Amino acid sequence: MTDYQLLVQRYDPEHDGEPRQQRFTVPGDHTTSVLDALLHVQQQLDPTLGLRWSCRMAICGSCGVMVNGIPKLGCKTFLRDYRGDIVIEPLAHFAVEKDLIVDMTQFLAHLSAVKPYLINDYSGTQPHKQTPAQLTKYQQFSNCINCGLCYSACPQFGLNPEFLGPAAIMLAQRYNLDSRDNGKAARMPQLNAKNGAWGCTFVGFCSDVCPKQLDPAAAVNQTKVESAKDFIISMFKP
Amino acid sequence: MNTPASARKPYQPELSRSWWLKHHYYRLYMLREATVLPLLFFLGCLLYGLYCLAQGAAHWQSFQLFMQQGWVIALNLLAFAASLFHAKTFFALFPRVMPLAPARLMIGGQWLATLLVAAGLLVLLGGWL
Amino acid sequence: MNSPKRSDEPIWWALFSAGGVCFAVFLPGLILILGFLWPLGLLDASLLQYAQLLTLLQNGYGLTGLAFTCAVICLPLFHAAHRIHHGLHDLKCSYSGVAKLLCYGTAAALSMLALYLTFLLRLAG
Repeated sequence: MTDYQLLVQRYDPEHDGEPRQQRFTVPGDHTTSVLDALLHVQQQLDPTLGLRWSCRMAICGSCGVMVNGIPKLGCKTFLRDYRGDIVIEPLAHFAVEKDLIVDMTQFLAHLSAVKPYLINDYSGTQPHKQTPAQLTKYQQFSNCINCGLCYSACPQFGLNPEFLGPAAIMLAQRYNLDSRDNGKAARMPQLNAKNGAWGCTFVGFCSDVCPKQLDPAAAVNQTKVESAKDFIISMFKP
Repeated sequence: MNTPASARKPYQPELSRSWWLKHHYYRLYMLREATVLPLLFFLGCLLYGLYCLAQGAAHWQSFQLFMQQGWVIALNLLAFAASLFHAKTFFALFPRVMPLAPARLMIGGQWLATLLVAAGLLVLLGGWL
Repeated sequence: MNSPKRSDEPIWWALFSAGGVCFAVFLPGLILILGFLWPLGLLDASLLQYAQLLTLLQNGYGLTGLAFTCAVICLPLFHAAHRIHHGLHDLKCSYSGVAKLLCYGTAAALSMLALYLTFLLRLAG
């Protein structure tokens, strides 16, 4: 067992004017994750520490934090990979409610804005049929766990919270590529706007930090192509 | 009495103007965007060259002398490096925007095009071969 | 809920993309030759002498010169304008009509100048 030094950002909305850092010494071995360490702090050292977590296995998307300035899932980040002080902060670009808990309202609002559900006029009772090839077209983009790390990585979202952002645009693309869906026209207005796909400058950091390696940057920029096509088509419509 | 809602006081951090200095990934992004600055210098040289070409042989001579100045060569070498860095990043991003073929094929193909153009120009303008 | 306004970004992005291809494929060889090898006399640059270069660019009713100017000057100018416009926003100078006009306007003006000079070449020599 080694002793690791954690510098955790604290913020108490009822008493603090702004966030501050608190040092904790946490024992760990080669299996200890950042989440394990934070839970150790909460359970053994300071029960007032607030943090979100659930599955511990990188599928629920709850435990996103900044580790030394990089957005990570706490449960998938291991103390053994770090030297010296490990700085833990809440996810960047979101308002901090308390300690490591951020306000994800804007993120959720952007997800809803792209109409993330099948839109078609099928009213039958038979299940849709889809070939493996049709599934492959959108499957990667459907594996998003809504963890929000990409929004913390995206400087365009940091500069402008009205930007729809990587996950939301990727979700729109996921439905636009789904053979069971006919709702592309309904989604395009949001994507064609300056806060839609055009808010992106392909920094690409979102794809770097995505814990599921879904390449949201590719999805957003493929959406730019779709939006450009839509633009040209709109020039020929009365 | 304090309700949970009234106890909220979210702290919204603001991104500073130097956000891009904070991580090497962002710095590389800004460097990539900045490759257009040396390019603009070279484009300026080209415009000057076109002007001189249109004015006559004597002016073309002075353009040649201009291009031979130390600071001009230095800036144009920077422009050359910038064009290569731009090419590297652009070719890598292109297959992600339009996945027309396996990424490696597309990247290799684009580099081949650049090499062929450079070789072609060397043959044509440089009397190479 | 009102639909947000359609952005005109596709125009600038298309020019940026085309210019980006030109910048990546045509400029490296050109800069190497015109900016380095030719000034340092490392080439047998017979075609870079006045009369020969003029004839080359006047080829095909001046279409060679036109193609050259579009591919190597105009499109890269718009590529640069787009990056500078968005770069200014990245440096927290927010998007404004003035910035947009300055960036794309300058690119357009310089492109016009380049095309005009190229046209003059048809009459020169």
